[in-house]
Amino acid sequence: MNVNTCLEFLKPLFLPQTEFERHIKRIHQHLPLHTHPTSYSATPPPATGVTPMTFYFGFKNVELLFSGLVINTAGEMAGAFVAVFLLAMFYEGLKIARESLLRKSQVSIRYNSMPVPGPNGTILMETHKTVGQQMLSFPHLLQTVLHIIQVVISYFLMLIFMTYNGYLCIAVAAGAGMGYFLFSWKKAVVVDITEHCH
Amino acid sequence: MAMHFIFSDKVVLLFDFWSVHSPAGIALSALVVLLLAVLYEGIKVGKAKLLHQVLVSLPTSISQQVIAETDWDSAGSDPPPVSRTHRRWYLCHFGQSLIHVIQVVIGYFIMLAVMSYNTWIFLGVVLGSALGYYLAYPLLRMV
Repeated sequence: MNVNTCLEFLKPLFLPQTEFERHIKRIHQHLPLHTHPTSYSATPPPATGVTPMTFYFGFKNVELLFSGLVINTAGEMAGAFVAVFLLAMFYEGLKIARESLLRKSQVSIRYNSMPVPGPNGTILMETHKTVGQQMLSFPHLLQTVLHIIQVVISYFLMLIFMTYNGYLCIAVAAGAGMGYFLFSWKKAVVVDITEHCH
Repeated sequence: MAMHFIFSDKVVLLFDFWSVHSPAGIALSALVVLLLAVLYEGIKVGKAKLLHQVLVSLPTSISQQVIAETDWDSAGSDPPPVSRTHRRWYLCHFGQSLIHVIQVVIGYFIMLAVMSYNTWIFLGVVLGSALGYYLAYPLLRMV
């Protein structure tokens, strides 16, 4: 369906000269028409066929993941940028949240931990991590559901990067960086206090 | 777009200027992608080691104070000897976030290179990942 809509978009360029064609030619005598697509044109230049295989910056006729989601204006591209940024941030947060949930659910099993005198007179906790959770316990079911969500979001981010649109790729990378910066800061601090001698 | 692996000398990788049309070109591109995969594995190990070093170098009392501040939400100003370490911690974490962004971008570039469905490029990625893992992961065990 999307290939057909794109072909509809390109049809006026290939049909024999009609009144519409002559009208367009008259207009483009004043404006240079981009016959050779460069990387920085406003329209997505298809390298071979319809799907782009090289990076480009543009916001016209950009399909995003679903068949109804097509970006045509700069405002829609800005909205898509923000949405993809937040999605990448959420993905990083989900990763950190799953790690901390896993650690918290294993704390309850960490009963066999004994205080050991440390080098400076401090008391260190020597922990013996036993086997993981049971299969039908609530933490494990929650981990599984979160894992499915994480897998789906990671594939969505991969598909968004696969559009080869420069703005969306920058949104993915920046969102991942910001998400790591915001969520892993808390995690790094927590790791220091709970795992003293790893 | 071909949806199966092909052996070919002609491929366009990632950018418009990276178009290959000769055996020497594809060999060089496979080498570049191999080095990129080695770098990716190295960055993964480097980030873990960097985090470990930062956590070890920070004194425990300082980190406990950071925890206390985040838990109690104290509005008081930092005592002077601690603020320097706070700034160092924030700088370290900012640096790690930048490394994370680079890791994400390189990972996606490798994915897009494999998506070209060129078998030589794919072999370059696989060999690069193997070589990178072989060289880098023993460094993770060393304290």
